[in-house]
Amino acid sequence: MEKKLSKKSLNKSFHNWYYGHLTCFSQEHMQTFGYLCAMLPLVEELYDNEDDKAKAMNTYTAFFNTEPQLGSVIVGITAGLEEARARGQEDVDEETINGLRAGLMGPIAGIGDSLVVGTVIPILLGIAMGMSTGGSPLGAIFYIIVWNLFAYFGMKFMYFKGYALGGKAVDFLIGAQGEALRDAITTLGGIVIGAVSATWVSVKTSLELISKETGEAYVVLQDQLDAVFPGLLTTLFIILCWFLMVRKRMSPIKVMLLLVVIAFVGVLVGFFDPNLTY
Amino acid sequence: MEISWLQAILIGICACLSSMPGMGGSSIGNYTLGRPLVGGLVCGLILGDVTTGVLVGCAMQVVYIALVTPGGTVSADVRAVSYIGIPLAMAALNSYGLGASTAEGTALATSFGTMVGTLGTVLFYGTATINLVWQHIGWRAVEKRQYKKLYLVDMGLPWISHLICSFIPTVIMCKLGADVVELIKISLPMDGLAMKTLFTVGSLLPCVGIAILLKQIVKKATDFIPFLFGVVLAASMGVNLVSATVIAGMFAIITYNLKMLLLKKSADGVDDDDEEDI
Repeated sequence: MEKKLSKKSLNKSFHNWYYGHLTCFSQEHMQTFGYLCAMLPLVEELYDNEDDKAKAMNTYTAFFNTEPQLGSVIVGITAGLEEARARGQEDVDEETINGLRAGLMGPIAGIGDSLVVGTVIPILLGIAMGMSTGGSPLGAIFYIIVWNLFAYFGMKFMYFKGYALGGKAVDFLIGAQGEALRDAITTLGGIVIGAVSATWVSVKTSLELISKETGEAYVVLQDQLDAVFPGLLTTLFIILCWFLMVRKRMSPIKVMLLLVVIAFVGVLVGFFDPNLTY
Repeated sequence: MEISWLQAILIGICACLSSMPGMGGSSIGNYTLGRPLVGGLVCGLILGDVTTGVLVGCAMQVVYIALVTPGGTVSADVRAVSYIGIPLAMAALNSYGLGASTAEGTALATSFGTMVGTLGTVLFYGTATINLVWQHIGWRAVEKRQYKKLYLVDMGLPWISHLICSFIPTVIMCKLGADVVELIKISLPMDGLAMKTLFTVGSLLPCVGIAILLKQIVKKATDFIPFLFGVVLAASMGVNLVSATVIAGMFAIITYNLKMLLLKKSADGVDDDDEEDI
């Protein structure tokens, strides 16, 4: 008998993923339970026998975590593969499915973070904040609508694309073409993140050297730094944080605590001063 | 400003929905309700002052515009920023008699947001830890082949984690809010060392968010060039974010085509070698 997944169960599977991928998150099994819930409607439709169901569900008990929006494509691909396995295609077994899931998690998380979290969200928020200057709710409403349409239909597209392409999607994603695509997206992400940081992050020093004779500042450090490279101080702090996390393997929390110390010392010596009074 | 029980409860429910891992799912919860800009609108609606809410939300959004959680590393908790920080900051502005659109008001909102956001990471680890219990129940259900129970485990039981780690802390902080703010106001004068440090930390912390994104993209020193290019676009050339994205897209296309060309060439190169062998 030719087994084919109905549109209804595919939709149910997609919605289970769309909503539930992170609801039961723990450090041990991040998105595993979301994945199980996404596969359940499919497994129930494909197999009548309880043992077959158990065997199929067992496949998806392996650890899973990726960037969830773009990661929909992986769930879609496994939906296609599970269908192929139910039809009795011999080269699809638990090992191939899990090998593929493990192999895709990393690259998809890399592209997803620079594309979704690093590019789309900051840009939408940037536009929205411009619209909300002065306290207008318009920007927030704009963000709610545009982001949710993008996320819902984007994830749906990825899921069904993955389902339609099945194993072929894998060659595309981790093959040579996929690598070129990844490089292109990280270039895009890098440039946009740079623009985001220069637009929205501002580290400024208040250090000035004041001449004793005239009482006027003859060195304003912030202006000097900006003359070298606009946004130099902000950029240096970002690179310092990157250096501490990547090269010194410090956790983000530790880096933040270090910044608190830097801020404290900076305020003490007069390097930082937000100039606040009542 | 007094926050009523009903208002505190509504804000508490939003906190459950919006956290990472939250009950709204990551698209609607974490990435929509959890964004401080949206949180500002929601808190403004609940507390009856949309303009102040959005202004405070905007100020905090600047800090967390690039907040990412790669591999479950959380450097700030959005439920705490949006649903503890914003109501408290609104109460603070009210009691200081500061306008939300003034530079001082923005700085105050920023530092309140960063303070609770950083402390709030405790809530994130708390939620994830309690979820381990539900996941344990889930594994037993899988063993016993009671697959329907997975829905309860993934989408039902985590509500209990949120009752403990999101709802109760938020309601308590909102109810205590005005008193906490009053206490801070008396014990920490604005031009004192502690407040100055807090404001400075507020301007330094976004660097960590940007650095976490760069962690995914930058592996060696030359990978910083696209990022610096983005900084130059925005800071030196005054290009806005949308335009910067178009320019970045252009470079992405060039990168992609170059990579594909190289791949094609190396594939041809292999063929040439074969012919010489013959």
